[in-house]
Amino acid sequence: MNKISDDILFKVEKPARYVGGELNCCYKDIESIDIRFAFCFPDVYEVGMSHLGSRILYHVLNERADTYCERVFAPWPDMEKEMREHNIALYALESKDSLNEFDFLGFTLQYEMSYTNILNMLDMSGITIRASQRGEDEPIIMAGGPCAYNPEPLHDIVDFFELGEGEEIMNDVLDVYKKYKGKGKKKEFLREISKIRGVYVPSLYEVSYNEDNTICEFKPKYPDVPSRVVKRFVADFNEVAYPEKMVVPYIEIVHDRVILETFRGCTNGCRFCQAGMIYRPVREKTTATLVEAADKLLKSTGYREISLSSLSICDYSDIRNLIATLIEKNKENHVSISLPSIRIDSFSVDLINEIQKARKTGLTFAPEAGTQRMRDIINKGVTEEKILEAASSVFASGWSTIKLYFMVGLPYETMEDVRGIAELSDKVAGEYFKIPKEVRKRGLRVTTSSAIFVPKPFTPFQWAAQCTMDEAVEKIKAVKYAITSKAVTYNYHESIVSYLEAVIARGDRRICDVIIKAFEKGAKFDGWSEHFNFEIWKEALEECGVDGSFYAYRERSYDEVLPWDFIDIGVNKEYLILENEKAKKAELTQNCKLGCTDCGVNVNFKEGTCFHSALSN
Amino acid sequence: MLILKKGRVSIVRYLIKYSKDGEIKFIAHLDLMRTLQKIVKRAELPIEYSKGFNPHMAVSIAQPLSVGVHSKGEYMDVVLSEELEEKYIQDKMNENTPRGIKILDVVKVTKVEGKKQSQAMAIIDAAKYSIKLKLTQEEGIKEILNSICSNEEWNIIKKNKSGEKLVNIKPLVHEFEYEVENSILVISVLIACGSRDNLSAGLLANYMKENIESINKEAFVDIVREEMYAMKDDKLVTLSEFFK
Repeated sequence: MNKISDDILFKVEKPARYVGGELNCCYKDIESIDIRFAFCFPDVYEVGMSHLGSRILYHVLNERADTYCERVFAPWPDMEKEMREHNIALYALESKDSLNEFDFLGFTLQYEMSYTNILNMLDMSGITIRASQRGEDEPIIMAGGPCAYNPEPLHDIVDFFELGEGEEIMNDVLDVYKKYKGKGKKKEFLREISKIRGVYVPSLYEVSYNEDNTICEFKPKYPDVPSRVVKRFVADFNEVAYPEKMVVPYIEIVHDRVILETFRGCTNGCRFCQAGMIYRPVREKTTATLVEAADKLLKSTGYREISLSSLSICDYSDIRNLIATLIEKNKENHVSISLPSIRIDSFSVDLINEIQKARKTGLTFAPEAGTQRMRDIINKGVTEEKILEAASSVFASGWSTIKLYFMVGLPYETMEDVRGIAELSDKVAGEYFKIPKEVRKRGLRVTTSSAIFVPKPFTPFQWAAQCTMDEAVEKIKAVKYAITSKAVTYNYHESIVSYLEAVIARGDRRICDVIIKAFEKGAKFDGWSEHFNFEIWKEALEECGVDGSFYAYRERSYDEVLPWDFIDIGVNKEYLILENEKAKKAELTQNCKLGCTDCGVNVNFKEGTCFHSALSN
Repeated sequence: MLILKKGRVSIVRYLIKYSKDGEIKFIAHLDLMRTLQKIVKRAELPIEYSKGFNPHMAVSIAQPLSVGVHSKGEYMDVVLSEELEEKYIQDKMNENTPRGIKILDVVKVTKVEGKKQSQAMAIIDAAKYSIKLKLTQEEGIKEILNSICSNEEWNIIKKNKSGEKLVNIKPLVHEFEYEVENSILVISVLIACGSRDNLSAGLLANYMKENIESINKEAFVDIVREEMYAMKDDKLVTLSEFFK
């Protein structure tokens, strides 16, 4: 194998993706460390470097004197072609060493359509794809992140998964690894870590199936291996390790600013949302902690923008004070503050109006569904009145561009609900004309986007059938023809990629062969429309004898064993069932800030208090 | 160009010389610019900002460097709101650079009575480069180069936004030396640079590639900018010397 050279780099698009050397990146002497860890993001550099979790774990791992964590991203196909032609193995950015020289490769699973990139990255490093065939001297492959909550489709690729928040679990695993390193005892190592809370080692479990292809039984192969894998989370989020430094890329990335993580979890309880369930309980950092972290990060990175991150930033209990304090502290510094996502109400519009004095480029709202009935089914908890009120205050505050996000193909949806998307968009546009001419800004533009709903594990809709492609196309058409306002532009995805996403998201072990087959046939960067090729996947499904509609289009019964049932996220399955039943009747469940809704997380996980560090109001 | 607050007497301009090392040669101009701004910010220097809703830092690069070229002699102008010791600025910045950038020299730009001191970008006249071209064979290379040097005109097609045109680059080459070492042709040149006349080192390298068959066309051409010069009293001096 050869090392990367300038003769290759000068030929490819954006060579800066492949050179490292950024501000705050970490270099260590290989002779003075014990564990080499490659943190792998299965997508291109600019996407991967924007991911907060990876940036956090990179520094958490490098805090350890015995560990050297380096970064790896998926090379864009032009680079891959050059590397394969010149026999250059995929390498880590810091040392430029090939991945097969590492002890661990840790992949983060952010979306299902990145899985083929994982296989490609292993292949480019000369690492055996199947965990069951991988040799003792090859690296240990681990994975974590939201998609790890259904780990089964990668059961024969990944040696072990980490479920939940990685900050602590990672240290526990590496401490054990030091005992085993270089002793040729990978199996023994995996067996021992299978007892650490949050670790799942798929090779230590077996699955049997019923005649109808549903799962009959999932059980550990050995008595000492836990039968349930309980997710890990940081109980005191205010005290959690947060890097004082972050790598500052040379090239512009998607989120190129200081990112402050304000809280984890979400209180809204939207029934389609996986993040809202798996990240419970809600835990906050205090304003004091955040202001201090902002200070350090601004100093160490030289950034001039802070973004406040969380699942729903306007729900941070001390949001006004936090923003006011950050503005006051940085008024001489030319530092601006941004909110990536805002709630649909006038409070949030006022908030963003305060911090965005100059650039009023446009605001995005996500009503998710068009009619009140449908929004109640998904427990969105927002009324049409609120939406229009928010829109009105947006236009009155000087914005003229508004984006609206919706889903089509939600469970229990009717054509009337779908047409509601068009009607609501028209009504939002109508609010603009109610504002006096001299107050509103010229050039109204309402951009309505819809995506096809993909049911996800650990949500009340985990049993639901995805709407078929044909139905989805019908629904999209219905929205398109029902829009009357000229100011409304409708963007939609009718890509079959949502179907595949649904197949993999709720797939079992048999999907693993399909992913391997698709990779062998050339699938990669499936999340990028210019690279996605459905024909490959169709062939892969057929050749593996797997019926995709079994996974995507089939409604499950409550008593079916789901592939991810062995994972305990703290939220009771009964709660998810209850929520689905309430969805059928379009009944709302209150925001849990207003009172506990008995999901079970605070009872099942005694160490976790809901609203830890939050102000009570 | 930056428009700075008028009527301020305390602002001080500094010319800062820095390197862009080989490992970051693929970083493009705008990306380097943003990185330099971050270095200034990290160093907590009292930098001036432009006015307006979107204030810009008073940092400007004297002469852009092409992607793939590294340099031992880059320059930027910065404007601070108070006077600081040159050494202090240099040390503070060096504590805050990524490892591919080093601050080599800081010169305070002193005010000349009754005259506005020109921006660094306006005074550059020439730059020195060394260009390394990989050869497939060394034989006969000297003869070819001698014959190239004796040509009256060095014509090459230059492509830009408006189209292609044939240009003679020889008048823009002030000094030209070469040597061959381990199958690498190393060319050291002093060529026109800046807003009046400008020759890109890459174009010169392409001219050599077109006219010397034994240059490996597939290989990367390593180009280093060694230094940049301005005219002072009819002599070329480095930018640092110009303001000293």
